Amino acid sequence: MKRYNIRIAGVGGQGVVTSAHILGNAMSAAGKYATLVPFFGSEKRMAPVEAYVRVSDQPIYEVGEVVYPNVIMIYHPQVITHGKSYTMPFYTGLKENGLILINSDADIIPDEDKKVLEDLNARIYMIPATQIARDIAGTELATNMAMVGLFFGITRLVGLEHIEKALYERFLGGTFVASGGTTALDSAIEKKFKKKQELLAKNMEVIKYTMKLAEENGWVEEEEKKVAT
Amino acid sequence: MGLEYVRISPGFERYMPRDYVDLVKFGQFGKQVDVMQLGQFKELVEEHPMCAGCYMAYFIRVFYAALPNPEDTIVLGTAGCARLALSQAAVPFIYGNYGDTNAVASGLKRALTIRFPDKVKDVVVIAGDGGLMDIGFGMTMHSWFRGEKFTTIMVDNEVYGNTGGQESGMSPKGVQLKMAPLGKKFDKINAVELAQVAGCVYVARISPTNPKRIAKVIRRAIYAAREFGPTFIHAYTSCNIEYSIPTREVLKDAREREKKDFKFYEWMTDEVKEYLEEIERKEKEKAKQEVK
Amino acid sequence: MPDQRVVEPEYLLLEAPREKKFITGSQAFAEAVKRANVDIAIAYPITPQSETMHLVGDLYAQGYVKDYYRAEEEYGAMSAIAGAVRGGARAFTATSGPGLLRGLEAIVSWPGHRIPVVLGVMTRVVNAPLSIQPDNIEISYLLNAGLVVLHAENQQDVFDFTLAGFVISEKVDVYLPVVVATEGFFVTHAKGYVQMPSEDMKLPPRDPYKAPVPPTDCEIPPARIQRDAPVQKSNFMSYLIHAVWQQEVWSANRRAMKWIYKYLGGPVEVVNPDAEVFIVASGCAAAQGREAQRYAEQEGLPVGLVKVKSLRPFPEKEVREALKNAKAVIVPEHNIVGWLAKEVKSVIPNSGIVIDGPRVYGGMTLPVELIMEEIYKALGIKKEKKTVV
Repeated sequence: MKRYNIRIAGVGGQGVVTSAHILGNAMSAAGKYATLVPFFGSEKRMAPVEAYVRVSDQPIYEVGEVVYPNVIMIYHPQVITHGKSYTMPFYTGLKENGLILINSDADIIPDEDKKVLEDLNARIYMIPATQIARDIAGTELATNMAMVGLFFGITRLVGLEHIEKALYERFLGGTFVASGGTTALDSAIEKKFKKKQELLAKNMEVIKYTMKLAEENGWVEEEEKKVAT
Repeated sequence: MGLEYVRISPGFERYMPRDYVDLVKFGQFGKQVDVMQLGQFKELVEEHPMCAGCYMAYFIRVFYAALPNPEDTIVLGTAGCARLALSQAAVPFIYGNYGDTNAVASGLKRALTIRFPDKVKDVVVIAGDGGLMDIGFGMTMHSWFRGEKFTTIMVDNEVYGNTGGQESGMSPKGVQLKMAPLGKKFDKINAVELAQVAGCVYVARISPTNPKRIAKVIRRAIYAAREFGPTFIHAYTSCNIEYSIPTREVLKDAREREKKDFKFYEWMTDEVKEYLEEIERKEKEKAKQEVK
Repeated sequence: MPDQRVVEPEYLLLEAPREKKFITGSQAFAEAVKRANVDIAIAYPITPQSETMHLVGDLYAQGYVKDYYRAEEEYGAMSAIAGAVRGGARAFTATSGPGLLRGLEAIVSWPGHRIPVVLGVMTRVVNAPLSIQPDNIEISYLLNAGLVVLHAENQQDVFDFTLAGFVISEKVDVYLPVVVATEGFFVTHAKGYVQMPSEDMKLPPRDPYKAPVPPTDCEIPPARIQRDAPVQKSNFMSYLIHAVWQQEVWSANRRAMKWIYKYLGGPVEVVNPDAEVFIVASGCAAAQGREAQRYAEQEGLPVGLVKVKSLRPFPEKEVREALKNAKAVIVPEHNIVGWLAKEVKSVIPNSGIVIDGPRVYGGMTLPVELIMEEIYKALGIKKEKKTVV
């Protein structure tokens, strides 16, 4: 059984919850399993936001926030540098042999934390996701897409077509239950891109880019290395 | 039509209780009675355990005689004096929880409208000042805001009579009652004005000194609620026990209050007025023909 | 909205082909309502329930539900539900935590008023300090009222219990409200796979005359002329009438069991019946327990799961039977008082084997790892922990 229990930490406005839905929908599109728990509190711009996704090739029963993750995705450097996470330090509860994906253009992990993570045999991958989003999609709002691409680039759990289907469902389908704030953000994005189709294409480009980045850097997980719980 | 269900199947008369047979034969089902004939027909409510000299009991007696459609009427009440009599009438009665009348009536009326879109089903709330203006205030007001099509009648005895004489929001200012040991500190709630502002299409305030007028007001409120929206009657029904009114003076008291703060008042929207005039004109014609 | 054809409950619930959808718990409630031929739904906002009643509002706008409105507050909503059901309508509403408690006076009177209805309860902290998180202590307030109380583990249960709830509640020998409780957020706002029959089918409409207590609609011969309100005649009559009426309510509650067997496959689900250590859990805690049982099995440990689907009627016999050879019983719960542990202890002869917990409260996640720790402890296994917490 392959099982990734993912904790995504970012700040309000980055599309943390949206990307959790996309991760889950992509797994579903690939005929695999996913459950997600968006943290619902009062979400505010630049305030900490977390979402939790469990993905597997087997049915998943458990629910609730992922307290003991084996994948941690950090969407904003301030999660680490400013302590903008629900738990301190940011890797609280990380299991052995876990994965940490960080959006940062500089190495921001303090040395003492590095030591703990080494003991846990954690693999840490850092990319400048915000810069990538800005360069390719022309908006920071695609940062979450860069992170989704990186995750799937490393784990190879689903194909591009599944991610595309997930994006389609999220942005063009009618099944997503959004909070008021998310809807408002969507319309802001829409205005920027004029067309939803175009938005989808840009997002896909970002995802393709970071997937390739994982491949070029040799981060793709080998079968036997894949996280198993 | 509920009438079919009230009538006794042929051959069963002799097995039915006498009381029931009399109700069907000499009662109000399927016909209109004149309240001035009270005592000359089989009334919908006869026995009740209310206090001797209770004006509320008298009002309720007139209320039942005034119903335009007793076989298709449902009455709702809440804890308090009124329900002691309401629960003993030959009209379906819903006795819910504390102060819930106008919420229950909202659900009930909507259900009946869904199920019987072409039938007249009158829903009438009769509750006290405590039930409607204190504990059930929110539900009373919101049933009016929503425009629910039923009638609310407040039998205002200005006190929690059934629980032993506590102050209510409708007690007059200054009156010393239980839970108001130094006298009530604020004014009687202006229920009639609230009703008008909240969207009632027909509103009346009455001190029940004239049975014909009581009946007229009740029938108007029920007719208007069928077609247009919520209707409200604020009736003074004194508590002769807690207010120490000698039994023989309850009518005198009602007349005195009628001159002061219970002056007869009636208000309705223009369309209700037009509608009622039409109904009353037809009723008069029908009565004339019957006389002929 | 597609034309919906009326099908027999047995077909809709048990036989009709089903399609798999990936939906939230709130959507699962609404999908059940969509197929339940509901006449009226009455809503009042409270997180995390609101989304369910938004979706039911959409069903009204589309024509699946005949009437719908936003009530003034929960006491008004629950009272209006009672009015609508007395008037012969099939009704649905839902609430959460503080809303449930606000509506409780009305809700606990439903069984005595014989109100067949389905109430969705999406759990939420009720006591101060205020929080919107899914602590489920509120379910304990529902257990002594005569209500049928089902506790859904996941989105699939929400759909199945809700749809079956309408059918069970209106059975002549039951005729009681059915509560479908589930954890807020964990189930309501999370997506899961739900197998559902096609939306072009619905339950037959409610037949309010097929009832032990008739509707109040002036369409049936009066059961009695209410000349004589016997409850008021004397204290002795008052005791007696209340007593016999409530005895009948609780008998009816127990009679719901056979329908729970028929439509929901029984009040419990037992995984690995020959185990030595059992997890007994309901609702979301059962999902956590199911995961723990799987991990334990992968490690070769003799661990089983008893999922309790029906809290009222409580499956006394079934739980006793499932635990007859158990050496230890772990009862994970999402509340501080441990209401399920108390229930379990009350029905087995050797209540000393019940481990009170693990429990989380305030709506916190119940990590599977906590259950694993109890399993290791019960089996005398020592584990080294490296995780930073």
